[in-house]
Amino acid sequence: MMVIGSKKITQMAQNMANYEQGKSHSLWVDARRRFFKNKAALISLIVLTLIVIFSFGAPYVTPWSNEEIDWSILGSINEKGMPSIASKHYFGTDDLGRDLFARVAQGTQISLMVGFVGAFIAVIVGTLYGAVAGYFGGRIDSVMMRIVDILMSIPYMFVLILLLVVFGRSIIMLFVGLGLISWLDMSRIVRGQTMVIKNKEFIEAAIAGGSNHLTIITRHIIPNLLGIVIVYASLLVPLMILTESFISFLGLGVQEPNTSWGALISDGAKTVLYERLWQLFIPLAFFVAGLFSFFFIGDGLRDALDPKDR
Amino acid sequence: MFKFILKRIGIAIPTLLILIIFSFTLMHSAPGGPFTSERKLPEQVLANIEAKYGLDQPYYKQLTNYVVGIVTKGDFGPSFRYKDRSVNDVIAQGFPVTLKYGIWSFIVAVSVGVSLGIVAAINHNSVFDYLAVGFTIGAQVLPNFVMAPILVIIFTLWLGWLPGGGWNGGQWQYLIMPVIALSTSYMASIARIMRSSMLEVLNSNFIRTAKAKGLSNRQIIFKHALKPALLPVISYLGPTFVLMITGSVVIDIYFSTGGIGREFVNAALNRDYSVIMGITILMGILTITFNMVVDILYAWIDPKIRY
Repeated sequence: MMVIGSKKITQMAQNMANYEQGKSHSLWVDARRRFFKNKAALISLIVLTLIVIFSFGAPYVTPWSNEEIDWSILGSINEKGMPSIASKHYFGTDDLGRDLFARVAQGTQISLMVGFVGAFIAVIVGTLYGAVAGYFGGRIDSVMMRIVDILMSIPYMFVLILLLVVFGRSIIMLFVGLGLISWLDMSRIVRGQTMVIKNKEFIEAAIAGGSNHLTIITRHIIPNLLGIVIVYASLLVPLMILTESFISFLGLGVQEPNTSWGALISDGAKTVLYERLWQLFIPLAFFVAGLFSFFFIGDGLRDALDPKDR
Repeated sequence: MFKFILKRIGIAIPTLLILIIFSFTLMHSAPGGPFTSERKLPEQVLANIEAKYGLDQPYYKQLTNYVVGIVTKGDFGPSFRYKDRSVNDVIAQGFPVTLKYGIWSFIVAVSVGVSLGIVAAINHNSVFDYLAVGFTIGAQVLPNFVMAPILVIIFTLWLGWLPGGGWNGGQWQYLIMPVIALSTSYMASIARIMRSSMLEVLNSNFIRTAKAKGLSNRQIIFKHALKPALLPVISYLGPTFVLMITGSVVIDIYFSTGGIGREFVNAALNRDYSVIMGITILMGILTITFNMVVDILYAWIDPKIRY
């Protein structure tokens, strides 16, 4: 009995020694390991990569562009516009005889871009705003957060459409509009986290060392917020895509000849009663696969970067 | 409590004013007036039209007139596109329709969502629980504009059970698809929130005490667990309401239900500023009032909340 016990202890000691000799695990290495262990997130990452490759590679595969009209099938789309290899319309054509393969590829690019730009604006504005409010606290904080409260209680979709109408429907305006609303939640989350961080010893040390407020916020607080910001930004991308799709579905977002997932779904939805279901289901498949991937990647990142949250 | 309500109203009113001023200023600063079109109007005609709508007055005067009109008479002014219709006419025509299917959707989303969440939590890790969780995950990518065409394909094209659109005075056949399309994704969110908060409550100490006292499961769930578990759901009702109002635009477009959403999008495409603004502000009033009611309700149920 005694012998076995001592053997175990020796081994444990050895393990510990080996561990200490091994490379130390930084936060990011650890997070990456946890992320790649998450099967749903990993598969989603692969699916998303394939979608991105498709959206940029499609022009090299198909002879059709996203604007060209195939006059030979116009008027008989139900019979000849189906997805087929023979006619080189791999995904069929839309109602105007334009190649859906090329259009889906182009729409995917736009939707992904909208998602990333919206999230990017949210990260920049929301992080700075939240960090400033949380760091200074007191009256500054309550005024800044009251503004966020007020903005949040406005039905933003209507205001966004109002913006698009007043300044013209363009993709730049769409970005501005999405950016205006996307940072609100982010700033709240960042503020909460900042209030926790600012009471830590290393901030006290920075103050004692004579750093000014700007340095403390940008050099000490924001780097420590990165984890939570990345997690939330990754969950914001699909929400931005959803918002854009909603507006494009109404015909107020991305304008012809450009398109997006929402605009393609809208076109397809209008023709379902004529039994041209591929026009709805193909863009929808990309939309669903894309959004699922983003949600699962976001979840994976949350588990990886913020394990205490579970 | 009274002080809290007063404070809450004190936030709601400035919010509304900001919304009105913001929309008005936006409209006012739009490049080109509401009557600029490809065909140029003679100077005098343009001046007469602008005088008729009060657009020749200075900005602040127009703004105060507009605000005073809304506050005292509930008057959103005339439509700039249709000579014989005021914004109030447009609203009076479409709003009852939107309200009808909107309220039904809200009731369905909340009642089904809450029950689904409770049942899933009680039968934690059962087949039903997994199905419910699967549904809540799947519904994240099924917003109203995706649900609507899918429902039409299933119930109109394949089964032929329901009409593919129209309103017909709000008969039930015409109501079903709009309500399902509008409520599904929020139902899923409510179910997810309800399930996790119910699980948390069921694992807490006071529930263990109740069990130790020998209460029946039914008594534990309905008398002890339900009220605290509902709190997160209540705080989610505000956003749900906003999103549903927004979603009604899609429903009106896709199902031709004749609600306010169709008018809104048409006005947006025609640049009929006063209608867009009127509907935006109406939705703002609804949203802000609803959020206020939810906050007060929340504070009333949970006495710990005082802010």
